[in-house]
Amino acid sequence: MTRPRRDPRAERASIQVAGEARPRFDRTARRTGSGRPRRDPRAERAGQRVAAEARPRYDLSQTVRFDAAVITEAQPKAAAAASPKILVLDDPAFLVAVVPDAPGGRLSSHDRQVLGAARALAGREGGVAILTLGACEGVGPAGADRWLPLDAVEGYDPATQAARVAAALTALAPRHILFPESLDGGDLARRVAVRMGEPLFTNAEVVAANGLVRPAKGRRVEQRIAPGLLSTVAPDAVAEYGGPPREARPLPVEAEAPTQGSKRIVSAARVPADPATVPLALAEFVASAGNGITDLDTFRQVVAALRATPGASRVLCDAGLMPRHTQVGASGTVLAATCYFALGISGAPQHLQGVAGCEHVVAVNTDLHAAMIERAGLAIVQDAQAVMPALLKLLVQEAQGTGDETA
Amino acid sequence: MTIVVLLSAGRHPVSGAPVLPRMEAQAIRIAASLGEAVGLHAGPDAEAVREALGLGLTRIEHIALPEGLDPVPALSARLAALAPDLVLAGRRSQGGAESGVVPYALAEALDLLLIPDVVAVSGGADTLTLDQSLGRGALRRVSVRGPVLATVHPDAAAPHAYAFGKARRGAVELVGAAATGVDVPQAIVEERPYRRRPKLVKGAPTGGSAAERLKAATGEGGSAAKGRLLVEPDPEEAAREILAHLRQIGVLAGPTKSNS
Repeated sequence: MTRPRRDPRAERASIQVAGEARPRFDRTARRTGSGRPRRDPRAERAGQRVAAEARPRYDLSQTVRFDAAVITEAQPKAAAAASPKILVLDDPAFLVAVVPDAPGGRLSSHDRQVLGAARALAGREGGVAILTLGACEGVGPAGADRWLPLDAVEGYDPATQAARVAAALTALAPRHILFPESLDGGDLARRVAVRMGEPLFTNAEVVAANGLVRPAKGRRVEQRIAPGLLSTVAPDAVAEYGGPPREARPLPVEAEAPTQGSKRIVSAARVPADPATVPLALAEFVASAGNGITDLDTFRQVVAALRATPGASRVLCDAGLMPRHTQVGASGTVLAATCYFALGISGAPQHLQGVAGCEHVVAVNTDLHAAMIERAGLAIVQDAQAVMPALLKLLVQEAQGTGDETA
Repeated sequence: MTIVVLLSAGRHPVSGAPVLPRMEAQAIRIAASLGEAVGLHAGPDAEAVREALGLGLTRIEHIALPEGLDPVPALSARLAALAPDLVLAGRRSQGGAESGVVPYALAEALDLLLIPDVVAVSGGADTLTLDQSLGRGALRRVSVRGPVLATVHPDAAAPHAYAFGKARRGAVELVGAAATGVDVPQAIVEERPYRRRPKLVKGAPTGGSAAERLKAATGEGGSAAKGRLLVEPDPEEAAREILAHLRQIGVLAGPTKSNS
């Protein structure tokens, strides 16, 4: 067997790019007949790149044959994103029960964190069961394998509710039971604990299978204990469940509902917070005036029409134009509001510290380069003195317009 | 109307000195607005709760109890003898385990109605009206009949100022020492100095990079990152944009709702 003799001149002539005055050669073309194929490191590297990520990431486990076309992972990834696979746990070794607050039939972020903690306790072979009072949505994506929907108690009767939950939990016989350490959840946990006669580990800040940790003695010591039956989980301490959605298979309710308790609670009515008098630190929506506001009467009317709590910057409080208890900032009140509406406030660092906890900020200011404009989700570069009457006019118009429709 | 305020021997969270917990001082203020109240304390020493005399109580009953015993049997026996119409307690102790279970255990033992997180109480001997805190300034107004045990929320009115003369005139009485206490069933608890845990960053994606967590922590990843900027709009246009944005967030009711 003889190797064919190479003809370098012919090879060179075959790769010459035609139609150019200067001789140019295309060396990327596959050589036929002789020698090893040429590697292309750039194409190999590009083939290893994980698709659909802004930051370049490379899957080095994927070895690309240099003579084969590179395989891109874009197609299987897109398919996985289209239909997230629901994890099904058929025969859990044990159950971890969660009793969420679920105000208004929706899981709060604290409830989700408790579900994340339960998932950490359940591990790979355990299952998470959620007990809701009344309907609740989105329990599967939050990490629940089983779902026990109990009937809600009508009216305010926490003792009957606790009896119902305790009976259901006794029938379910989980290994651990977790509650959120919130106003309602903490109350329910303690009622269930005394009813079941079990110790309660409150306010756990670390939840893991090898131990729960809580602060005690005024946060001077921390206590660690092996996970017991009943615990409550502190807010913002444990991460939410981040994995694929779970099944949330409904479980049949076996325990009979205890009858309504005694009629010692005559009536219970919810009184919503009055935005005009609620303390600034507790307010949900704060509208605040700064040095760009001179007409404070209109400001007060706008605040009343928006049903917001009035606030002010240090300058106005120092000048005596607004009461001192309305001051927002490092030396005033640090807010926990959902929305902050800043009128004529440029945003001194001390003022922004007071606003740091607010989720949404709306700012009206004449200065395009003010710090508050930069911080705001909706920033309007305009004189607040001109915007306030327009706002008031619009609100009055809306109220009258709907009044005519309903009349 | 008989009112009993449960007092605990608290510890100051910073100095560790004996102090009356603030929520119990607030409970004394609520009780003082309704009538004569008596304090009840079970523990080895009544010195820590003597401060309550200067805050509005005239008399404190002290049940001598060795350290480490469960106070619930002694307290429930004394409460059964007093038969109060209203029992007030703080929602958590301060300086101890801070689990807040004792009022619930007492309510279970005495078959009392328990209303948690109360900020104000009004009414007479027959029917009491309790304002219960729901957080963020919202309340639930509960009317109850018969004896009730209420725990006090920190949002209740601030306690009265301490009065030295009243504190000297008040009396601490030793009532029947409970000899037969029950040991608290102590679970095996390991104690260490407290260590602050890293704060959970809200809005950060799970498994995200450090840069993404930093963005979420500084607010750049939130609403501000995709913020809208309107430069010199017409004031009417600006007002419409503001109202639409506030309604989208959900802090302002819609035009139809606001009128109804």
